[in-house]
Amino acid sequence: MFRDHVKLAIKNLRHRMSRSLLTLLGIAIGIMAIISLMALGEGMQQAITGELSSLSDVIIVSTGGNMFSSFGGGGSTSTGEYFTQRDIAGIERLQGIKEVSTQLSGSGLAEYNGKTTVLSLTGMEVSVMKLQYASQNLEAGGFLNEGEQNKIMIGYSIAHDTFDADISVGGRIKINGEKFFVSGIFGKQGMGGVSSDSMVLMSSRDFKKLTGQSNISSIYLRVNNVNDAESIATTIQNAINENHGKKDFATATTMTSILKTVQNIIGILQLVLVGIASIALVVASIGIMNTMLTSVMERTREIGIMKAIGATTQDIMSIFIIEGVLMSGVGGIIGIILGVFGSQALTLILGSFMSMGGGSFQLVPIITITSVVLAVAVSLIVGVLSSLYPAWRAARMSPIEAVRYE
Amino acid sequence: MSKDVIVTQNISKTYGKPPLQVFALRETNLHIKQGDYIAIIGPSGSGKSTLMNLLGCLDKPTSGKIFIDGSDVSTLNENELARIRREKIGFIFQKYNLIPTLNALENIELSMGFAGVDSQTRTTKAKQLLEMVELSKRLTHKPSEMSGGEQQRVAIARSLANNPSIILADEPTGNVDSKSGENIMNILEEVNRKGETIIVVTHNMAIAQRAKRVLRIQDGEVREEHV
Repeated sequence: MFRDHVKLAIKNLRHRMSRSLLTLLGIAIGIMAIISLMALGEGMQQAITGELSSLSDVIIVSTGGNMFSSFGGGGSTSTGEYFTQRDIAGIERLQGIKEVSTQLSGSGLAEYNGKTTVLSLTGMEVSVMKLQYASQNLEAGGFLNEGEQNKIMIGYSIAHDTFDADISVGGRIKINGEKFFVSGIFGKQGMGGVSSDSMVLMSSRDFKKLTGQSNISSIYLRVNNVNDAESIATTIQNAINENHGKKDFATATTMTSILKTVQNIIGILQLVLVGIASIALVVASIGIMNTMLTSVMERTREIGIMKAIGATTQDIMSIFIIEGVLMSGVGGIIGIILGVFGSQALTLILGSFMSMGGGSFQLVPIITITSVVLAVAVSLIVGVLSSLYPAWRAARMSPIEAVRYE
Repeated sequence: MSKDVIVTQNISKTYGKPPLQVFALRETNLHIKQGDYIAIIGPSGSGKSTLMNLLGCLDKPTSGKIFIDGSDVSTLNENELARIRREKIGFIFQKYNLIPTLNALENIELSMGFAGVDSQTRTTKAKQLLEMVELSKRLTHKPSEMSGGEQQRVAIARSLANNPSIILADEPTGNVDSKSGENIMNILEEVNRKGETIIVVTHNMAIAQRAKRVLRIQDGEVREEHV
C-alpha cells in the first residue's frame, strides 16, 4: 500500500510540475544555505584547529596580562619589561619540560640604500617563528629555514615606508654593519596595538651574534605531556610573578586554552550562521504548506472519490504527507548538491576579503557526513511537519461534501 | 429466498436542531435482497441523495440502524465505514469521478490498492474488468482522453473491482448521450444478471422502468411503487 501511496504522490506532483518545482526550490535554497555555511564553519574550525592543535604541547609565557598580546599579533611587547635568566632557569628546572626557547628583543642600526635608521629587532627560534606568525599572511617570500644565517623577515612598513626605496625579497640590509638578506615580507597589518609592520625578525642565533644582548620578551616552551600543560603553565606564571614581585608580570598561556577559546568563538559563529540559514528553511516550509493546502483545496473532489471507493483517513494522510516529504526530500538533495558548490563560491568570496584583512591560512570548505545527514533529516522533518496540517485537512473531509464539490 | 444485503430500520436523517429541524429522510424501512435491481426515483431535493449516501456508508443516519450483509454499520467509525465502502459497495457517480491523474487501468487498480490487493492480481483483474466493459483498447488512457460514455464504463469497472455486494449508481446516464446511456444500462443489467445487487438513482422514468423494483421518494418518505 505504501508503494501505491508513493506512486500516487509522484503522479500528483508531476501533474503540478512547475508548482512542485518552485516549492522544492525553496527547500533546496534553504538546505544549500545551511550546508554551505556549515561547510564554511567546519573549514574555519579545522583550518584553525589544525594549525593550533599541532602546538598543543606549547606554552607561551609573555610579559603583561593579555594572553593574546604576543600570540599571532607578534612583535615585541610594549611593556618594556623583560624576563630574566633567573626566570628561564626556573622554568628549565621544572619537571616535564621538553624544550624552552625565547623571543629576544633589542635594537640595531640598519642601513639600506644609503639611509641609516634605528630599528627594533626581534630574535627567535626559526621553528617558533613559523608557529607564532602562522596566522599572518606574507606579502612576498617565505619564512626562514632552520640553519639559515643572515636572513631576516621584515614588516610591511619596513619594506615600504622606512627607507627611501622599497625593499623586496632578496634585498640586502646592513644591520650593525652585518649584511642581512630579506627572505620574507609580512603583509600590511595596519592598526592595532601590536603590529608586525615595523618588525625585523631574525633567528636567535643571529640576534645574539649581532647584538650580544638577550632581552627576553617571551618564552616558548614545550611540555612532554600535553595533559600537564595547564598545570605547568600555572606553576610558571606563579613562579615568575613571584620572581618579579608583581601579580601580573607574566601570563603563561597554553595552546589548548587558546584552542578552546577559538573553537568556542567559531562554534558560536557557526551556530549563528546556521540559525540565519534556518530562516530560509522556515520560509521554504511555509511554502510547502501553502502549496499543499492549495493542492488539498483543488483536489477536494479527488479526495472525496478516494474516500468513497474505500480510502481510509490514514491512506489520505499518507498520500499527502508523502507528497510533502518527496518535495522536501528532493529539494534537500538538490540543496546539498548546490551547497557543495555554494560553499566553494562563499569561500572564494570570503577568501578575497580575508586576504585584504591579513589572514594567511587557506580556508577550504569541509562538508561533513554529519552536515549531509543533518540536512537530509531536516528536510524530511520539514516535509512531514509542513504537510501534516494540509494532510489532516484532506483526511478530515467528508466524502459526501468532497464528492459534491464542484 | 435470497438473503437481505441491506436492511434499514427506521432510519432518519435530519439537519439542524428542533424546532428548525429538517427531515431529509424520515423513518425509512427497507429490505434489499441479494440480486435486487432497484431504481430510486423522486424530484430534486426529495432525499434521494441522502438515501444513497446512507446506503453507501458515506454518511450516518441521525437515528435508526442500517445493516449491510447482516452487520450494523450505523455505529461504525470513519475507518470502519471506509472498510465497508471498500469491500461491500461499488459507487458509480453521475460525473464518473475518475481520478484525473490516473489512467483507466490505474483508476481501477486504485480501489483494489486501498483494499490491499497485491499489484499483480490488481492488474490482471483490472484488465478483465476493462475487457468486460469493452475498453481493452483504452487501458492507458487518462480520463481526459476518453468520452463520457467511456469514462462511465471505466467507473463501472472500478465499482466492480473489489467484488462488492451492492452497486450504487447515482444518475449513471445523466451525463452521457442516449446511445452510451443504453450501453451503460445494458452493462449494469448484465452485472445484475450475474447476481450483483444494483441500486440506481435516476430522474429518467425509462431507466427506472427497467428495474425490478422502484422506490419513490417524496419529502423524505420512501414508498414502494409497483410496476
